[in-house]
Amino acid sequence: MSDAFRTPYADYDVLAKWDTPSWNDRTREVVRRRLEEVPGRRFLTEEEWRLLEAVTARLIPQPEREAPVPIVPWIDEMLFENRGPGFRYADMPPLRDAWRQGLAGIAGEARDRHGGDFESLPPAQQDEILTDVQHNCTDRRWWGDLPAGGFFLHLLLHETVAIYYSHPAAWSEIGYGGPASPRGYVRLGFDARDPWEAEERDV
Amino acid sequence: MRQPEPSHRPLLAVGGLVFAGAVGTWLLLRRAAPKDEPKQVAAARALGAGAAILAFSVATDSALEHYRGSFENKAMFIAPAVSTITIAAAALTLLRPGTGRTAKGLVFAAATATGAAGVGFHVYDIARREGGFDLLNLFYHAPLGAPAAISLAGIFGLLSQRFERGETRLFGADGARLIAPFTAAALLGTVAEAGLLHFRGAFQNPAMVAPVTIPPVAAAALAASAIAPRLVPAARLLLEGTAVLGIAGPAFHAYGIHRNMGGWRNWSQMILQGPPLPAPPAFLGIAIVGLAMLPLLEGSA
Amino acid sequence: MSDVDAPRAKAGRAPDVFRSGGWIPMRGYADSEEVDFAIVGTGAGGGTLACKLAEAGFSVVAFEAGPFWRPLEDFASDEKAQGGLYWTDDRITGGADPIELGSNNSGRGVGGTTVHYTMIALRWRPEWFEARSKLGYARDWPIGFDELEPYYEEAEEALKVSGPVDYPWSRRRKRYPYREHEVNASGLVLARGCERLGITWSPLPLATLSAPRGMAHPCVYRGFCAYGCSTNAKQSVLVTFIPRAIAAGAEIRDHAMVGRIEMKDGRATGLLYHREGRWHRQKARHVVVAGYAIETPRLLLNSACPDFPDGLANDEGMVGTHLMCHSGPGVWGYLDEEIRSYKAPPCMAVTEHWNYDDKGKDFHGGYAFMSQGPLAAGWAQDVATNRGLWGMKLRQEMTRYNHSAGLRIVGEVEPRRENRVEIVPDEKDQFGLSIPRVTFSYSENDRRLTRHSIGSMRSVLEAAGARELWDDDDTSHLMGGCRMGDDPKDSVTNADGRTWAIPNLWICDGSLFPTSGGVNPSLTIQALACRIGDRISAMAKRGEL
Repeated sequence: MSDAFRTPYADYDVLAKWDTPSWNDRTREVVRRRLEEVPGRRFLTEEEWRLLEAVTARLIPQPEREAPVPIVPWIDEMLFENRGPGFRYADMPPLRDAWRQGLAGIAGEARDRHGGDFESLPPAQQDEILTDVQHNCTDRRWWGDLPAGGFFLHLLLHETVAIYYSHPAAWSEIGYGGPASPRGYVRLGFDARDPWEAEERDV
Repeated sequence: MRQPEPSHRPLLAVGGLVFAGAVGTWLLLRRAAPKDEPKQVAAARALGAGAAILAFSVATDSALEHYRGSFENKAMFIAPAVSTITIAAAALTLLRPGTGRTAKGLVFAAATATGAAGVGFHVYDIARREGGFDLLNLFYHAPLGAPAAISLAGIFGLLSQRFERGETRLFGADGARLIAPFTAAALLGTVAEAGLLHFRGAFQNPAMVAPVTIPPVAAAALAASAIAPRLVPAARLLLEGTAVLGIAGPAFHAYGIHRNMGGWRNWSQMILQGPPLPAPPAFLGIAIVGLAMLPLLEGSA
Repeated sequence: MSDVDAPRAKAGRAPDVFRSGGWIPMRGYADSEEVDFAIVGTGAGGGTLACKLAEAGFSVVAFEAGPFWRPLEDFASDEKAQGGLYWTDDRITGGADPIELGSNNSGRGVGGTTVHYTMIALRWRPEWFEARSKLGYARDWPIGFDELEPYYEEAEEALKVSGPVDYPWSRRRKRYPYREHEVNASGLVLARGCERLGITWSPLPLATLSAPRGMAHPCVYRGFCAYGCSTNAKQSVLVTFIPRAIAAGAEIRDHAMVGRIEMKDGRATGLLYHREGRWHRQKARHVVVAGYAIETPRLLLNSACPDFPDGLANDEGMVGTHLMCHSGPGVWGYLDEEIRSYKAPPCMAVTEHWNYDDKGKDFHGGYAFMSQGPLAAGWAQDVATNRGLWGMKLRQEMTRYNHSAGLRIVGEVEPRRENRVEIVPDEKDQFGLSIPRVTFSYSENDRRLTRHSIGSMRSVLEAAGARELWDDDDTSHLMGGCRMGDDPKDSVTNADGRTWAIPNLWICDGSLFPTSGGVNPSLTIQALACRIGDRISAMAKRGEL
């Protein structure tokens, strides 16, 4: 898997619209907090935090960024506030237990297979472990009753991806219009683009 | 229960603008035409004024709408360009009747042809869309009849040239008696377009009914006056009403933009998505031509 | 932070949803005052009924567990920040095909789910009310289309539904109050595919304004409909029936979680509710439960008392059973053209072909499919979890977002007794109330329907020129759980939403549905609420309450 990232929207920055009618006060308040008030560790242990940093760096690699979009702080905040999605699958433990167990599972797989911490493994081996977790090829000893694949898809990947694609940097790289109120859009048809939308270029 | 209504105070500004616009237009037209000039010269001036106002409406409207369409096709530049030149030619007739005849003739002929081609383009554009000639596309895509307004400006221009030359007859008949019903038909076309778009807006504001009530009656009275000159006074009143609508329209539409989300602060979206500012003056342009025909009809009786 | 986490509707006033920082006067009732109707829930069912009953002159208090939103100020243009619109208290979901709850099918706050619904305002196929006798499956409703038709009209008028002049399906006598919206590119993909295959399609009738209405602005096509409308173009219950209800003298009590219905001598006497840190008792002559398909059965079950040991109105064990969702597989693909489906309401075009044409079906029931408009984060989650994509592959794939388009069905699901809501006695929520457990599995027929629909969607997308197609799996809406019927033995209420067991206990929401139909339920819920309101007024006049 190549780690080079290319986007057809390289010169688009959704934040350039900050002071235009596309953004209102409420949206600015919400996004400003996301950019400037990244929370510290309150729920995870230091080891869990480090492990999760390494895991999310494989789920959403950001090699081209000096300061990657933060993901773990928001997972920690969600767990600290115990803020679930409004349901849990009958075969899954409650939210916090599931995350603790899942992280312990990944750590266990790494120690068992390579005799070390997940975070110190080379990327290829990390990806191998994560792929096995995704496909339930895991050792029951580290996972207990937690379905590894379910944890990977419904909690770990689901949350990581939602956090990353809630960041303006991610909006920009996929050419997403981002906040739009009071100004929405005029040109709605095929290949129709308003001047305040991202322009696609060949890469 | 009625929905809570927004403040009606901005409507005072709308009223003020309309009044000022109506008085201003009336004064301008009076000043342009000396009282004692021959009827056909006055008619030439009026046809020029009508053509200029129509061309102004089309130039601004097509520029905005084609900008909305991102000038996807280079041909979309033609309409605003030709109609802008038409404004100049027609204004010349209004202010200096009898000057620059050849050049004006070319411009008016080009405008007439451009409108016809535009209708063709618009028909093609609608036909190729999903839904075809469904109301969906008639509401939101290239308006079928709109380019005809450029032709109309061109035709008014060409007619003004005949009157400039003192020729008051047309196809062997009295010119005014042909131009009156023709102008009435043009007025009905504009009514149809306004009606379609106001129907799209569900006639949510009672004022939206005005352009589909007064002008059609005015058109009928104008056409009838060609045969029954005793109807001229009624036609005059109705056409004056139509002219006022043409002046009031942009003010109401400006108010409509104010009523949209973000109001005028969101102008970059709303000059395109809100009610079209430049469209209503077409009523004024046509009404002026109709009004100019009335004295000739009276005289022909 | 804002004041949204504490009650706003109190001390004789409620937020004015149309003016930033504005207030409107609201009548208030004391807990000890016996009101005519205490309504639990302010969504499509409860909010609509509160308006109807208040306008008919009854004293009404409607309880809402969530906040009283100010759309112009509270709603950010942001998927993540709008998570507060959903019911996120603990719930367990199980069965062979566990339903995703939360953002998928719940609402919390005045206006309920209509605050974040996609505004699709479709009537039912007339024959669905007689599914058993006319179409040979499931069961009949206790009322027919003809009885509901005037109420469909009333609901459409109240919401100023913007729809095509000629909608090709169901039955209408009048035009929609407002005209259809322009269809966005994602809708045109559906249109193009259908036209090439010779299948009828239509712009969707939507409860979002295509022209101004009073203080509400027309839609600006910002695309955040599923995350709350910050312009008031969306005609949610919050900006339509609720202001009307308050003007007619109803009280809306926000941040008020109802914990149980109080009973005496076989009749409901009021509600026990939690607000501002403590429990209160509201006395009422009648109680209406309108908490949607999970909270309604949960409240009835949690209100068990010595006279009703298995829960209220549950003598036959029907409460919570026959829960339905709509199956919602989607098909996605890439087009050469830019689609940019973040623009305009998410669903703008529909085909109901397979709701009305039963030829060649290997299943009972019907489905409609609509064009889709996912936003960035939601789309990323869909791509990642359904295709198992992550790493640089995912980031790279996401750069094709603006060229993707998809279709998703609203698919009819059979009512089955084993699909149900129960309470889990040993797990309590923050109020100390037993949490609900939802059990759901598709039937063989349900699976045949979804397979068929995936085939249809694939052919339409392919015909439209989409490539690299892939499917996902999802559900939408909830219905049933307290179904209405003609027979007290196999239903919870009669056709008026009045429970068979307790004469002054009513239900008015989607849990009444005996079958699920193949279109979005909100308009039918609102039509039912309008009808129940009229029925109650008529009964009151005849002294039958």
